[in-house]
Amino acid sequence: MKLNIFLAALRTAIDAGTVVVLAGMGELLTERVGVLNLGQEGLIGIGAVAAVIVSDGASSPWVALLAGMLAAGILGLLFATSVVIVRTNQVLTGLAVVLVGVGLSNQLGNNYQGSPVEHTFAPLRIPILADIPQVGPALFDHTLIVYISYLVLPTVVAILLFRTRHGMNLRAVGENPAAADAAGVNVAGMRLLYTTIGAALSGAGGAFLMLVFTPVWSVNVARGRGWVALAVVIFAAWRPSLLVFGALLFGAMISLGFIAQEQNWGIPSFVLAMLPYLVTLALIIIPSALARFGFKVRSSVAPGALAIPYFREER
Amino acid sequence: MSSVSDAGHTRRSVHLERRLHVEPRRAALVRLLGVATALLIAGVFLQVTGRSAFALAGEVIRSTFGQRRGLEETAVIATPILLDAIAVAIALRMRIWNIGAEGQFYIGAWAAAGIGIHFNLPTPLLLLMMAGAGVIGGALWILVPAIARAHWNVNEIITTLLLNFVAVTWVEWFSIDIWRDKQAAVIQATPLVNARLPGLFGSTTLHAGFLLPLALAVVAWFVFRNTRWGFEVDMIGGNPRAAEFAGINVRRRIVTVMLISGAIAGLSGMVHLAGAAGRLQGTISNSYGFSGFIVAALAGGSFVGLVAGGLFIALLLHSGILLQTAGLSIYIVLAIYGLVLVGIAVAGGRSSLAGPPGETLP
Repeated sequence: MKLNIFLAALRTAIDAGTVVVLAGMGELLTERVGVLNLGQEGLIGIGAVAAVIVSDGASSPWVALLAGMLAAGILGLLFATSVVIVRTNQVLTGLAVVLVGVGLSNQLGNNYQGSPVEHTFAPLRIPILADIPQVGPALFDHTLIVYISYLVLPTVVAILLFRTRHGMNLRAVGENPAAADAAGVNVAGMRLLYTTIGAALSGAGGAFLMLVFTPVWSVNVARGRGWVALAVVIFAAWRPSLLVFGALLFGAMISLGFIAQEQNWGIPSFVLAMLPYLVTLALIIIPSALARFGFKVRSSVAPGALAIPYFREER
Repeated sequence: MSSVSDAGHTRRSVHLERRLHVEPRRAALVRLLGVATALLIAGVFLQVTGRSAFALAGEVIRSTFGQRRGLEETAVIATPILLDAIAVAIALRMRIWNIGAEGQFYIGAWAAAGIGIHFNLPTPLLLLMMAGAGVIGGALWILVPAIARAHWNVNEIITTLLLNFVAVTWVEWFSIDIWRDKQAAVIQATPLVNARLPGLFGSTTLHAGFLLPLALAVVAWFVFRNTRWGFEVDMIGGNPRAAEFAGINVRRRIVTVMLISGAIAGLSGMVHLAGAAGRLQGTISNSYGFSGFIVAALAGGSFVGLVAGGLFIALLLHSGILLQTAGLSIYIVLAIYGLVLVGIAVAGGRSSLAGPPGETLP
């Protein structure tokens, strides 16, 4: 069945935005405990390359996905140890993660250049819903990871953050670690845990690129999506629901590029390639600018202790 | 340099002692240790993946220091790296992170190429116009992030970085399509620019542009040591609120400093175009902007250390290009940069780079 342009675009947008949802949700959790991990671009790269390498010998794409999460999780744990235990500058250390991740993944992926990934995820048609004409194939014929990323993950994170005691502690660590510490919350443990989980989610995003979206290794595989994820977290005001919306918007811009070329709209491909980054830029600048000019915009305030190392005696 | 905001308290953690004042000599030593550790880790990685690190190191030293050409090539690479490093360092004085030097470099080179291929004027005049175009191009490229940072508190790290992707695509567009050299079918680049920087010491490789970052580093050192303007910038870096109370227009100063930073990065694009590359193409920057960032971080705000660090990183990048013939990709250098950065963060990150990014005004 041939989809109409709009629904075909929506289908691609959902797939293209999935990486940003996964990496963005990882970063959201990380920033909620007060840690700024700028390394998303590197974590996505490491997740992708691990998935490619493991998928070579593995029998199932799930093994490759887990490998991607594990590899990025390990890099994330190293980062977390550095910024939480040694208390290094989070900006410098995060950029180091970008360089190590991008450099290492490009080096390791060199041998896989151009060869397609063997085991990829197949779409999981949702019975009945997927049979709805037009809308069905656009929305209900994706891989399981897509459903998890857009429905399960945001719900779980939202409930965790705003409906549980643990989530309250988690946010307290990000807002005021000294108070959380005084209340008996393990600040360092919380930060280590959620920074590592966040990195593993970004790794899942990288693995998704290789196992679903474009199943062939290419240099600089993340293409700025890690930075987009960081921007979308700010746009989303650190809320899971808005993050999904921001990621979809980015996906829509990518999808617009595909459609425009397919339909021969005559827009230079270079302009289309720049568009997602410019839109992302607008996403983070415009709300802040509007707020400054007196418009009522939802408050977008970063966690109080974001990027600030916690020293116990500092009260 | 000790950070102003840290003064006054004695703080201890359980295992690690936090140093609030680090003597310059000690800071430099600790940085060197960080770099050495990074190189050691890289060597171990090479050894483990079945290459002899010592043989490679020997090869690098022979082909760089063993011949005049190697040294000159390193200096040519060092030129844009040093200029970008100065650009980043000036902003870093204010704790503004310009990670977009790479993009400003591209746009500076693009603007200079636009003048250089379309005008045919006496060389000095054309070079001057190209430099002007590069400076304006780089400054314009950081204008939006600067205003957004100063007036609307938008994180400059992400905005400047996102624009890098736009800049690279923009330059590809012009070099592959709009300004493409129709005569040269093989290369995807613009025609040669009509004015080139003269060689230095009769060299065909090393160009006069190499003197520019050295001179600029001296100027910057002087400005931050001896002028009121430099002092005020440092003061904002230490504590923007205090600076505001002291009567400094912090927002305007942030915009100015970021524009200067972008302008210098743009100039580095022009210098590399007119001195070395000759024509604009999508791959004109060999990660010079990022290398410059590493250098600035390595130097920790010192302009003297910056020159030494820039030459060192240029050597590393030059080795990376050599190592490609040994079956290694240039990406291993990126990974080494990362390790160097970790080394800096662990060892010396406490000095002028300490503290969270972008403390902002209410």
